[in-house]
Amino acid sequence: MMQDLVVHGAFIVYAIGLLMTFGLILTWVERKQAAIMADRIGANRAYLRIPFTQIKLVWWGLFHGLADGLKMLLKEDFKAASYDRVAYAIAPWIVFTPVLLVFAVIPFGGTLVPAELFSGSPDIASWFGDRTYAMRIAPLDAGLLVVLAFGSITVLGSMLAGWSSDNKFSMLGAIRSASQMISYELVMGLTVLGLILIYGTVDLVDIVEQQSGTLLGFLPAWGIFLQPVGAVLFIAAAQAENRRIPFDLPEAESELIAGYFTEYSAMKMGLFMFAEFIEIAIIAALFTTLFLGGYNLPWMSDAGFTLPGGHFVPISHGAAVVMQMVVFLVKVMLICSFLILVRWSLPRFRYDQVLRFAWRFLLPLALANLVVTVVAVWAIQGAGA
Amino acid sequence: MIGQALLWFFAAGALAGGVAMLVLRHPMHVALSLIGTMLSLAGIYAALGVHVVAVFQVLIYVGAVMVFMVYAIMLLDVRDTSFTSRYSGLLIPGVAGLALFIGALVYVLRREGPVGDIAPGATAFRVERFSVDFLHEYWLHFELTSVLLLAAVVAAIAILKAKRRGDG
Repeated sequence: MMQDLVVHGAFIVYAIGLLMTFGLILTWVERKQAAIMADRIGANRAYLRIPFTQIKLVWWGLFHGLADGLKMLLKEDFKAASYDRVAYAIAPWIVFTPVLLVFAVIPFGGTLVPAELFSGSPDIASWFGDRTYAMRIAPLDAGLLVVLAFGSITVLGSMLAGWSSDNKFSMLGAIRSASQMISYELVMGLTVLGLILIYGTVDLVDIVEQQSGTLLGFLPAWGIFLQPVGAVLFIAAAQAENRRIPFDLPEAESELIAGYFTEYSAMKMGLFMFAEFIEIAIIAALFTTLFLGGYNLPWMSDAGFTLPGGHFVPISHGAAVVMQMVVFLVKVMLICSFLILVRWSLPRFRYDQVLRFAWRFLLPLALANLVVTVVAVWAIQGAGA
Repeated sequence: MIGQALLWFFAAGALAGGVAMLVLRHPMHVALSLIGTMLSLAGIYAALGVHVVAVFQVLIYVGAVMVFMVYAIMLLDVRDTSFTSRYSGLLIPGVAGLALFIGALVYVLRREGPVGDIAPGATAFRVERFSVDFLHEYWLHFELTSVLLLAAVVAAIAILKAKRRGDG
């Protein structure tokens, strides 16, 4: 019992630290990457000066995130003459909390066997006994459904924020945000359905483990090779759910000031921004888990590598755990970087274009993808039986 | 121990949300309390070890039904004067009725004793079992309910049309 508490406590601390760090770092990555893409120098002003010296630590402007956070914390929390005080106060939290909760079911590493990890010190090893833990916070077999459930709550927060602000810009932002998120959630759900059909489970650890095999003898059995159309649809729908350019209609600054959070200031506004950046990391983590083999390298499973020729390379448990955690982080960071690349490459859609894109283009495509998947799965399973 | 405490916590939340839904006047506050109740119910299901039902509770009721309700309420005219008073006129009878109901419930539970053991997680109610049970036992009920819902939608449209003609 105590052992479970220790391990899960460690997981929770790791996950929250991870998400907060990603939220902070991504604000910097976004600026720096934009600068590199636009051939500018970019964020390079904020620095820490070592006391009593003239040594300034600029570190490529890495401290801009810190400066931003401080600014938001110390600014006046301007109380707008809101239409509804309660709704106005809880709206940022309704946006922020589900985003964190989603990560509870995403596996960030393989199976952890503490006894094997601490085999050097028999006391700790015997205390843990033969317990094993999958590296995620909540061991729920309905993992993917939990993601969709919590993902659908966020829209309530943006609607409440826009409605309670008593501001027409906010209201327009809220309406746009709601219609856009409802439309793209449908696309996302239908896309994920194809993947569920192939894997036959909604347990995210199962999904990752099934991806450690091979396809056609040499390809890693990643979701992106099984469902290439699904992967593209998923990333497009996820980007739209995240309300970032090219789908940032709800907060289009040249039209609506800041959309549904126009009337928010200081840390309340910071929560909206922070939720948006953490959501980038969450989307990247989900995409990694569903389509890119999760925490495993190609052909890798908890025990070791099964190379295409049938050659098996075993790895020790400690090495596997460290490798899986690092691989997961690297994959998530790469996908984040890709999402930011998209954000700085494309212009913003018009409102009608966004909805038409969802209902007339992505939805039929998702349905076609689903039909093809159903037929293929049926044909393959029929051949096997 | 923790499970028991969570159960009480969510039960209190569900009850408070239900009461607030009945006595508050403003549509948005009513919707928010309903969301609170739905989430608390999901919490109760999760505390009892039926995570699948909890997830569907959140996914369907909060993520779909309540989102549409809030969307509709958001577009209501804020100058409508019918909900300017904070509480419903039924506040006192409502609270009295609730007290009576709780009293009756406590009386019955005391007389009957504990209904059964609610030790959670002993037999995990997994997705597979849920799906199999759902598709084998309850498929017809589910389809019949959807027909009922369709009838309700048609009825709502009919009422709207009748009213328009009357205004007419």
